[in-house]
Amino acid sequence: MNDWAILSGIEGNLAAYEAVLADIKRQRQPVEELYILGDVIAPTAESEQVIQRVRSPQQNEPMPQVCQGWWEEQLLILHGLGRTGEPTELIERYGITMVKTLWDAIPREMVEWVRSLDFGLFELDCLLIHGSSVSVSDQLTPDTPAMQMLDRLMRMEANTLFCGRSGLTFQYEIQQGTVTSSLTTLDRSNSPQAIAVKPRQVVGVGNVGRLPGQASYALYRPNSNQVEFRTVRYGAGKGFQRASP
Amino acid sequence: MKVAVMSCIHGNYEALNAVLSDIDDQSADKIYCLGDLVGYGPHPNAVVEMIRALDIPTCQGCWDEDIVEGLNSCECSYPSVLAEKRGKQAHEWTDQVIHPEVREFLAQLPLSLRDDNLCFVHGSPHNQHEYLMPEVDAFVALERVLVTGADILFCGHTHVPYVRSLDAGQLQIRVKSTGTTERDVSFSAPLKRIVNAGSVGEPRHGRPNATYVIYNTDADQITLREVEYDYQKTCAAIIDNGLPPIFAWRLARGLEFAERADDPTHVCER
Amino acid sequence: MQPLNITLVAGSIGAGKTTWIQQQVHTTAETVIYLSLDAGETAVDSTYLAAEVPGLTVLSAVQLANFLEHPTDGCVVYLELGFHIDLNSIILPDPMADCRRVAVLPPGTRHTEWHGWADVVVTGAEASITLRQPHLWRSALSGQVLDSASLNTFWYELTNGAYGTIQRAKGIFDVADGRSLYFDFVAGLPETTDMELNLPRWLNGRPDRFSGIEIVGEALGQTAIAQTLKDCCLDEQAIAYYQQQIKDLIEQGEEVA
Ligand SMILES: [Zn+2]
Ligand SMILES: [Zn+2]
Repeated sequence: MNDWAILSGIEGNLAAYEAVLADIKRQRQPVEELYILGDVIAPTAESEQVIQRVRSPQQNEPMPQVCQGWWEEQLLILHGLGRTGEPTELIERYGITMVKTLWDAIPREMVEWVRSLDFGLFELDCLLIHGSSVSVSDQLTPDTPAMQMLDRLMRMEANTLFCGRSGLTFQYEIQQGTVTSSLTTLDRSNSPQAIAVKPRQVVGVGNVGRLPGQASYALYRPNSNQVEFRTVRYGAGKGFQRASP
Repeated sequence: MKVAVMSCIHGNYEALNAVLSDIDDQSADKIYCLGDLVGYGPHPNAVVEMIRALDIPTCQGCWDEDIVEGLNSCECSYPSVLAEKRGKQAHEWTDQVIHPEVREFLAQLPLSLRDDNLCFVHGSPHNQHEYLMPEVDAFVALERVLVTGADILFCGHTHVPYVRSLDAGQLQIRVKSTGTTERDVSFSAPLKRIVNAGSVGEPRHGRPNATYVIYNTDADQITLREVEYDYQKTCAAIIDNGLPPIFAWRLARGLEFAERADDPTHVCER
Repeated sequence: MQPLNITLVAGSIGAGKTTWIQQQVHTTAETVIYLSLDAGETAVDSTYLAAEVPGLTVLSAVQLANFLEHPTDGCVVYLELGFHIDLNSIILPDPMADCRRVAVLPPGTRHTEWHGWADVVVTGAEASITLRQPHLWRSALSGQVLDSASLNTFWYELTNGAYGTIQRAKGIFDVADGRSLYFDFVAGLPETTDMELNLPRWLNGRPDRFSGIEIVGEALGQTAIAQTLKDCCLDEQAIAYYQQQIKDLIEQGEEVA
């Protein structure tokens, strides 16, 4: 099976996305699947172009599979299509003026597409999602407690969880673990049993568009379970230039 | 010190009285209640008034929330369409008879309570609708206790009491991130426990008796209590008050009314 | 022309009339014709036999009359009579005058009107309870699709006495995944038979085939039974949703459980 490219957080930055696409095409091992873990948009007018670019790949590019990110969820909430009614989180983080900025930035006809996106994607034994199995806002980082990481993996019975909320690139491997469990009910009492956890991992796939001139994303080789992080430098506003390993 | 913990009274006043007098007999020093004061049973107002009169610290259950917020749980929280229809019938009946001040009381109940190294919730620390079944994966269970910072997590909501001990939990982790060197981290947790208090008014263990638990802090010992009471009285009241007779039939057999979802850890995203 | 080979089968509730017929059919190579008298719209037995017994044809009363006028050679005919049919009141058409009469009765049954009527008494299943006033309740459910989990809850409640004392209950139900299920309960026997009928999955809207239930018991809470069954049924939207899911699975070539 060929490689996957997994990215998150284009955040309406078309030049950054083009740079990443060019880098993907340069890979010696062909990239078969392209996953975008949300935040395709940001409250900028350029977001519309990015959506169009994502939806219409060129002939030699894989069709991106996209799930909702934090910005997409905020947009849906504004349009009354979200999981919660009030844009509380948006206002808390960016102030009340952001409501109008975001509303104005994304044309109505794009909302239907945003709405059609899945909350997360499940491929092989991998969960691909913006935040985590808990919510789009759930931010997993290299410093997240191990039990919390394990919980996010086990909620969806995934062996690998790819996420993008933190914008960081990291590979967090749970190599092994045990716990002794015993149970007493009204009618019986079980003797303690050792339970082991099988190896699992959480992968932060970086962020494409937030940092001008520098995009990061991840390559995944399902056969060997190998993860490689790519950092792509590009001339801001001028399209892509060259990749640096 | 002896701490008595009860849950899921569900408007069953007879059962509550029996449990309270058993708690008295056991000379418990403190009582906590994990919610679901109302729903299905015929005496929601009397139950709440009793809890208030005795000033029993109580957290909000899923039914208490639904009565306050209106029924907006998704159909996935019911195991079948039949259970959903019955749940709605029970909700509508309760919603009609409940006194305004009782509703206000339910509205201000906290989602969790804390007493030293003990934490009290209705379903799980993440969500009052989540079922911590005894067979939940040990690591998932451990995470639920750890996230509270307590040593013992008391919960209800499943209507079947149990004590689960999770000892010597440990994890080995390797973290690689760009720009930093690879690091190995190990994590360990001492003994943690989940104690499910069962159900006072709507048991599901196959007998009609009420269940609750007592924690003896000095001996560090947990006892599951099963208390007989005159359940026929409650059954008669169910029928007399116009609730579906099948509720009485199920109560008499310790069968609950089926509110458990197929996937117990599933929490609706709505 | 050979004389017609016709057997009338009568007997008490739950003694095993249908089971006995099924056994006979298994041992004969001939074409078998079956009719249940007075089944009306709720034809649980005939639907069950038609689906499960190859080589058996179920006829309606009208079809039987036509058949008797122009019988096919080498056919074996079984006519099942409900327990509540008055044996003396049956008027049989001429060609059936010298048919064989079989009564299927529980062991140890003596001196009943069946004994006087039957040529052969077959010992069937033991009856664990005898009802003083057995009551038959039937309901056609054709076109309804039930949620399986709800159906299981209802069946558990029904057969454990939540809606009165049940001696016998059998039903055919269309469930959400398109299967047609046959449930059969006899008081005293340890478990309900619960099997999938050999019929194609119905995945296009409301099923246009028979489903229904027959209950024999005492002090039956008929309104409650009917209401509970209604509460087990899926609405149009849910039916479409589940049918689409199964179609998608089949399309993906997956094994549908
Ligand atoms: Zn409860
Ligand atoms: Zn509850």
